[in-house]
Parts: sequence; C-alpha cells; structure tokens
Amino acid sequence: MKEFLAYAKMALPDLLQGTVVTLELTAGALLIGLAIGLPLSLMRVYGGRLIQPLCTAYLTVFRGTPLLVQLFVVYYGLPEIGVAFSRMTAAFLTLGCNSGAYQCEYFRGAIQAVSTGQMQAARGIGMSRLQGIRHIILPQALRLVIPAWSNEFIAMVKYTAIVFLIAVPDLMSKAKILSSQNFAPIQTYVLVAMIYLVLVGALGLMLHVVQQKLAVPGLDFGMDKR
Amino acid sequence: MQAFYTMLQFLLPGLGVTISVTAIALCMGCCIGALMAVMRVYGGLVAKAIAVCYSMVVRAVPVVVLIFILFFVISEFVDLSPFMSGAIALGFASGAYQTEIFRGALLSIPQGQMVAARGIGMSRAKAIRCIILPQAFRVAIPSLINEVSLVLKDSSLVFVIGVPELMRRAQYASASTMEPLLAFGTAAFFYIMMTLFVSKLLEAVEKRFAISF
Amino acid sequence: MPLPVLRIEKLCKSFGNTAVITDVSFDVIPSEVIVVIGSSGTGKSTMLQCINLLLRPTSGRIFLEEKEITAPGVNQDNVRRQMGMVFQEFNLFNHLTVLGNVTIGMVKVSGIPAKQAKEKALQELERVGMAEHCEKYPAQLSGGQKQRVGIARALGMDPKVMLFDEPTSALDPELTGEVLAVMQKLAAEGMTMIIVSHEMGFAREVADRVIFMENGTIEEQGIPDQIFSTPRSERTRKFLSVIRPGKSV
Ligand SMILES: Nc1ncnc2c1ncn2[C@@H]1O[C@H](COP(=O)(O)OP(=O)(O)O)[C@@H](O)[C@H]1O
Ligand SMILES: [Mg+2]
Repeated sequence: MKEFLAYAKMALPDLLQGTVVTLELTAGALLIGLAIGLPLSLMRVYGGRLIQPLCTAYLTVFRGTPLLVQLFVVYYGLPEIGVAFSRMTAAFLTLGCNSGAYQCEYFRGAIQAVSTGQMQAARGIGMSRLQGIRHIILPQALRLVIPAWSNEFIAMVKYTAIVFLIAVPDLMSKAKILSSQNFAPIQTYVLVAMIYLVLVGALGLMLHVVQQKLAVPGLDFGMDKR
Repeated sequence: MQAFYTMLQFLLPGLGVTISVTAIALCMGCCIGALMAVMRVYGGLVAKAIAVCYSMVVRAVPVVVLIFILFFVISEFVDLSPFMSGAIALGFASGAYQTEIFRGALLSIPQGQMVAARGIGMSRAKAIRCIILPQAFRVAIPSLINEVSLVLKDSSLVFVIGVPELMRRAQYASASTMEPLLAFGTAAFFYIMMTLFVSKLLEAVEKRFAISF
Repeated sequence: MPLPVLRIEKLCKSFGNTAVITDVSFDVIPSEVIVVIGSSGTGKSTMLQCINLLLRPTSGRIFLEEKEITAPGVNQDNVRRQMGMVFQEFNLFNHLTVLGNVTIGMVKVSGIPAKQAKEKALQELERVGMAEHCEKYPAQLSGGQKQRVGIARALGMDPKVMLFDEPTSALDPELTGEVLAVMQKLAAEGMTMIIVSHEMGFAREVADRVIFMENGTIEEQGIPDQIFSTPRSERTRKFLSVIRPGKSV
C-alpha cells in the first residue's frame, strides 16, 4: 500500500497532464457531435424522403462499427486516398462523428417524445413549421434529451481512452509510458481506473445539478440510456 | 473487387476469434449480471453493497483499462492466453452493464409474484430462481440482445493485448499490403454485417414480444 | 344580411382513397355561434382542421372575409393566425408558463413587443379567469384550467373566428362547467365561433345554429330548437336519442 502511494505520488503529475488532454478530447468530441447530431436528427424527423438513406447510412456506419475501427480508418486508412489528418485532428474527428451518430438518436427520441399536438398548436397560432420547431419543439426536446445527453457525456470520457493507440497523449497514453518505464502495469492502470472513476463521478454530480437547475414541471421524465 | 475478396478471406479467422471472445464474454457477463442483480435487489446489506460497488466502478472505467488491469493481474497468477484474459475482462465489464439490465427487469416484476410464490410454500431463494428470474429474463431479452452488439464492438479492444481478432488481423493485413483503408474498411464491413444482423434479430424478437405480452 | 366571416364551398377531404369529408358548404356570419354535432369518426375534426388549413383540403374553396384562403399563393401561416384553434387535448406548450403560452404567438408571429404582449396576455387571461395562475406551468394546472389557457392563447392572436374541437371532451365532468362558461361569455361578447361538441345542453342554450354531421357531410342544420325538438332527418333523430341533453358521449 505504501509502495502504491509512493508510486502514485510520482506518477500523478504525468497522468494529470494526460487527463487534461482526455477532457479536451471529450469536450471537443461532444461539441462536434452536437453540431452533427442535432441537424441530423432534425433531418431524420422533418426531412424529406430523399435524405433519409444518407442519414441511415451515416448512423449505420458509426453506430454499427467499433470506435477503434473508425479511428484506424480515419487515421491510417484515409491518407491512402489523400486525406491525411494529424493525430489530434483524427482523434477529434472520429470521436466527434461517432458521438454525432449517437447524439442524433438521442435528439430524435426526444423530438419524437414531444407530442404531435404541440406542433399542431404552434401551427394553429400561425407559426410556420420552422418557427414551430424552433420555439416549441426544440426547447422541449432539448430539455427531454438532457438525461441521455448526460450519459453520452460520461460515455465519451471513457470512449476517448482508445486514442492512445494512435499516440495521442491522453491519460492512457501517459499510463502506457509510465507502466513500461517502471515495470508497474497493475499499479499504473489501477491508478488510471481511479482517475476515471473520479472524473466520471464528478461529472455525474455536476450534470445532476445542471439537470435540476433546468427542470421544468412536467418536462422532467428521464430517458435513460447506457 | 478481387482485392476486397482476398481481404475478406484473410480476415475470416479473425472473425471467428471476435465471435468467440464475444460469446464467452456475454455468457460470463450474463452469469455475473444475473447474480449481482439478485444480490442488489434481494440481498442483504453486504450483498447489496458489493453489487452496487461492482456495477458503479466497472461502468465508470473505460473497457480498455479493465482489459489491461485484468490482463496483468491474471498473468501474475496463472498462465492464461491473451484470448482468455481478454474474454474474461470483457465478461467482467459486460457483467456490470448486464447487472443494470437484470436489475431493471427484476424491478419490473410485480411484487405479487413473490408473495404468491411464498404463498404456495416456496422459500425465498426458490421463488427467485423458479418464479422471478425466468420472468425477468424474458423482460430482459431485448436489452440483452442489444448488449450483444455492444460487446461485439467492445471486443475490438482486446486488440490491445494481442488477441488475433478482426482488428489485429486487419492490422497485419494493413502492414503487409500497405492498404490500410482496404484492411480496416473490410473489418468495418464485417462489424456492420454482424451488428445489422443483431439489430434485425432484435426487431424480430420485439415483434414477437409485442404479440405475446 | 351581413357579409359572412367564413364561407365554405363544396369542401372535400380524402386521405389517400378514403373520402372523409364530402361536399360540405356553409357560411358563418359575424358573431354567429355554430355548434357541430355528430358521432365520432364522421370527420368533424378533419373539417375544422381543413378550415384553418392545418389540413390541405382535397377540393373546394374557403373564404375568410371574402378572400379565398384556399387559392394558391396564400400565406397559410397568416390565415391560421387569424383563426383561433382550441384542441381537445389542450396542447399547451409544456415548456412555457401560462403567460408564455399566451405571449409566444403574439411575440414570435405577430411581432408585438414583449412588454405589450404581456399586458395583452394578462387581459386575455383575465377574460378566462386565469390571470392569477400566469406564472404556473401547464403540468401544474387542472384540465379545465389548461383549456381556459388554451382559449386565452387563441384569443391573444385576435382571431376573426374561433374553432373549438371538443374542448371539454377530455375533461372530468365536474370541470366542463368552467370551460363552457368561458365559451358562453365569449359568445355573449360577440365572438364568431364554430364549436364541435357533445354538450347538448350548451348547444341548445348558446348556439345560433346546430349542424349535424354524418359520414363526412352535413346531414341536417338549423336553429337548436328545431334540431333538438323536431329533427327532419331520421339519422339526426337516432343520434339525438342516444345522447341525453347535457351529457357528453
Ligand atoms: N391523417 C389521417 N389519415 C387517414 N385517415 C384519417 C386521418 N385523420 C383522420 N382520419 C380518418 O378520418 C375519419 C374522421 O376522423 P375525425 O375527423 O377525427 O372524426 P371526428 O372528429 O368526427 O371524430 C376517421 O375515420 C379517421 O380514421
Ligand atoms: Mg374529433
């Protein structure tokens, strides 16, 4: 135990440096995912027939394959056809596009959970479809999506843990280096696990507070997903 | 097209490994999940605490980290192949998620079932085993099928400890043919086929259930 | 004879191959209160939704104050703004307070400044007796209160005609009174209204004209006394015989 504490003290600064990168990746991926997922979900629900196959293809590819495959296709595969990214860009892009697909489904679920009567009533007082979506449907859907979106947030922290495989200097990457330098894989990865545990716990708590702050009576039924 | 076909053939053994790892992990996760869920819902204080901690901790840690930890811990004590270590790690991870699935299912079974079972003279344990669990299992089936595709995708992570599954084969291929797009693209193709199959299965099952319930 | 507020000419509506409304024509004069009765599934809701263009009529023409609103190129949003619609299921905007429900149309559609909209909204809420609940959310209201807010929301847009689709059908019997009272008050104030309702007592008391619909068309229409006491059509008689006055079906 004493040994472990000493090792932890030595390793922690490096690991925390990696943790910052992990959090940056998480935030970036979530934002890119939001920028993709929200419009995509609107297309899915309100879009014409012609764009549906495109949406379906996107969702099938990104939800139907492991993130690892996506990462390798983007980082190793795409340069073959002349589209090369830096490690960091590849990581942001892959995580973001992946999250976009999942966020699309969460938003779609939330939009569809808002009853059709809401749109009817919006049209009834003279709103256009676009106004109805903007002022009536989206404000409700965005509140309904918060639980699912919180889960996606937390899941994303964990998903980023594979980018060390293309040598992005995140928490895992630092761990890998420390572990081989000190021949202490178990201690290192247990330490890493503890850091993730704290991260996830703190984020969970934070998101819970946000949820309570944004609650509107009658609009707080959860849509929990893994 | 020819190149794609050759690649398909080359990756095929990896597909077998991926499926085996997934199958072992799912079975193990199912046992752990069912047990932990029962402990959580019907257990005493200690059992409850164990189940809660297990599920919370494991679900908070990335699966790759769990794979590394278990791989190194296991190799301290026994000489297991990376394949088995990987499968066990995945099973351990899936167990936590399946705990939540089973817990939800258990809680959805009306209280009256237990009362009725005790009423005809069953012990608590027997009532859980013979009356509650079979019903909970049925309720859980859609989520369990969904878990299949999640574990299938997570199984790509045992790549990191050198298990020769799809991704590892794809990496060999990519290195030897210098065609990473084809290699990883083909791997992606395999995964899409498998997850599509699982989601079709899920649809079929949900249709069945819609009628029988 | 005053000019009609609303004129409906040979209105037809089908979904795919099933005709739901066939050849419905009638005029609505200013301040007239029309109650539409008829068994469920005969197309009363469909007709109301065609009238304010929530549904596109298959054929036929509709005129709002002599202007054809079914003509191509007419701004449909603008048409809907001029007709208030009250729904059976209330359809209050769940994320907005009572006040927000009434002001949002004024602000976002009519472009009235927020402060002015609020004043006007409070007046409308006063009219339906809901002003003191203006900070509550829909989930905190009873059904009758919700519907009164629904009415205030429609009134806020200064509609030329109000359309009610079974406004009390989703309410517990003891709550219908407060909503009917509001509608009666509006009628007395001279609001032009088309009301789909099963409240026969209300129809008898408040309606200027009762329209009985059957199989997507007007089977019979007339002043309430005539319809309820001496219906000409056998079908009307049959329908009325299964409904006791004042009760909802
Ligand atoms: N969007 C639709 N598509 C197909 N059929 C519809 C649609 N809306 C209504 N209908 C049909 O039209 C008929 C009339 O419905 P509705 O206008 O709601 O009747 P009412 O309001 O008189 O009860 C019903 O048979 C209903 O099934
Ligand atoms: Mg109706």
